[in-house]
Amino acid sequence: MASNDVITLDGVNKSYKLGRIRVPALENVTLTIARGEFIAIAGPSGSGKTTLLNLIGCVDKPDAGRIVIDDVDVTPIPLHRLAALRLNTLGFIFQTFNLIPVLSAYENVEYPLLLQNVSRRERDARVRHWLGEVGLSEQLKQRPDQLSGGQRQRVAIARAMVTEPKLVLADEPTANLDSDTATHILDLLAEINARTGCTFVFSTHDASLIARAQTVIRIKDGRVDDILAARAA
Amino acid sequence: MLIKLALRNVLRNGRRSSITLVVIVFGAVALILFGGYKARTFWGLRESTIRGRIGHLQIFKKGASKAEAHKPLEYALDDATSIRKQVERDPRVKMTAAQITLMGLVSNGEKSETFIATAVEPAKDREMNNQKITAGSDLPDNEPDAILIGRGLAQSMHVKPGDYLTLMTTTVAGSLNAMDVRIAGVFTIGIKDYDDRAVKMPIAGAQTLLQTKTVEKLLVFLNNTEDTEAVHNAFLAHLSGVEIKEWSELAPFYHQVVGLYNGIFGFLGIVVFAIVVFSVANTILMSVLERTREIGTLMAMGTTRGRLRAMFVAEGVSIGIIGGVLGLAIGGGLAFLINHGNVMLPPPPGYTTGYRLQIMMQPAVLLTAFLVSFVTATISSIVPAMKASRLKIVDALGHI
Repeated sequence: MASNDVITLDGVNKSYKLGRIRVPALENVTLTIARGEFIAIAGPSGSGKTTLLNLIGCVDKPDAGRIVIDDVDVTPIPLHRLAALRLNTLGFIFQTFNLIPVLSAYENVEYPLLLQNVSRRERDARVRHWLGEVGLSEQLKQRPDQLSGGQRQRVAIARAMVTEPKLVLADEPTANLDSDTATHILDLLAEINARTGCTFVFSTHDASLIARAQTVIRIKDGRVDDILAARAA
Repeated sequence: MLIKLALRNVLRNGRRSSITLVVIVFGAVALILFGGYKARTFWGLRESTIRGRIGHLQIFKKGASKAEAHKPLEYALDDATSIRKQVERDPRVKMTAAQITLMGLVSNGEKSETFIATAVEPAKDREMNNQKITAGSDLPDNEPDAILIGRGLAQSMHVKPGDYLTLMTTTVAGSLNAMDVRIAGVFTIGIKDYDDRAVKMPIAGAQTLLQTKTVEKLLVFLNNTEDTEAVHNAFLAHLSGVEIKEWSELAPFYHQVVGLYNGIFGFLGIVVFAIVVFSVANTILMSVLERTREIGTLMAMGTTRGRLRAMFVAEGVSIGIIGGVLGLAIGGGLAFLINHGNVMLPPPPGYTTGYRLQIMMQPAVLLTAFLVSFVTATISSIVPAMKASRLKIVDALGHI
């Protein structure tokens, strides 16, 4: 039976080599995140937010400690063997949108479903559904360079959600957007979280975004400084 | 999606892909033109060697090739007429021609030179059409003492058509014999060393000079060169007391030319291969560098290393196919223009006459050119593909 925690970090350490010096990025991080939460990882630049998201997202490995994602202890598994877990369990939203420039909005959202070998009919239904959910039903054939920043991030959200992941990780999802667009994107993420029960973890130092989170994990100098249960989204 | 992504990424940087395609097309065109030229040269040399000189098959008396003859025509065909009748019954046979080769001295009364004479049946020899008459006329049918003389030998002997010479050689009995001959014409086959010593005479004249009624060998000409082996085997079953040689055993010069051209073609192929490999590898490596963050994104989303490798190899395959097809089209077009442009080449070493440049569009040549383009482009995409698949996701995502 699945536990209620979708993420468990236990004594996680991570450092980077900068020339000859090892710079600690995370030190002894221990936390759990329950399913369905809408969580902000907050902290100043360089505090370790992105490193923490990378470790949770199984795109980087810790130096020490243990990480469990959706009841799978990913710590001993090489990253290239975690491709299936990233594909089926996680969704990613990037600060710079990271859409595939040669693919249309439709094809960008369709891509992960192709990796999952989903049938053509179901792919079409799911892609159209999620592009409709993010308000881009009319922009299916547009390529990223024909879309605004907000529209690109909406495509990225649809791409993250189309595989019906258990956990969506968003690294500074509104940092490259104007405040109005950022508010709309936030509303969209919160609404999806409420409707689907998918867990959202996003890094930010944007006060308005932090204010929308159910829980805020404050990181300072690579350590968990505080975990606050904020107001409901 | 894999193919769609590959094609779109190839078109993404149009200028760079165009330069790569130009390199591939250039290589394919070079292979097609040189391969087609080589094929046409081989074909032309083979057919001119067979139809002009040696025939598809030569029939000798059994033991002629191994025995050391002490006298001229010691191993001659005694019953050439009956052999000829049997041979000509085969519908694949176009004609047969008797021949005698002899050597001796030719004299104009003041000067003597050695000669090598080919005694032929004049009507058959005209059909072989292997020589160019530069002065006078061809061998007449019923004049045993008429000869053709090689251009170099004619110059050396200071003679012209209508003049007389004396030929001297050893008879089949071992004694010396001579006969006066009239020069009907001067000829060349384009090879100086041959023209400096060559004489052609009717078989009847040679038999008179050699004091024999036999012939040395029977040349067999087929309608189709590809039937040579089958006809050879059929004759072996029917004819006795003879040995039969195929043209391939009698044409060392043809094999030398084939060896030389194949060596040059192989070298050209290696050069083209290297250029295409480096060019395509460079294009895809640049593409990997430019798309590092994109690669990181794809891997973060769950794209496996194998699929990522396949994506980049598919780009190499796409470039190879597009380049190969364009190369075939342009190479084919150029070959057509050359074949209809009457381009003349200078005489090759040892020859005295030039020849027309022609490109033979053989399926094997076209297939080779396409495969070289396709395979090299594919191979050269493997290293960049491996590099892309081994990127660290977190580094790739942070790449600027």
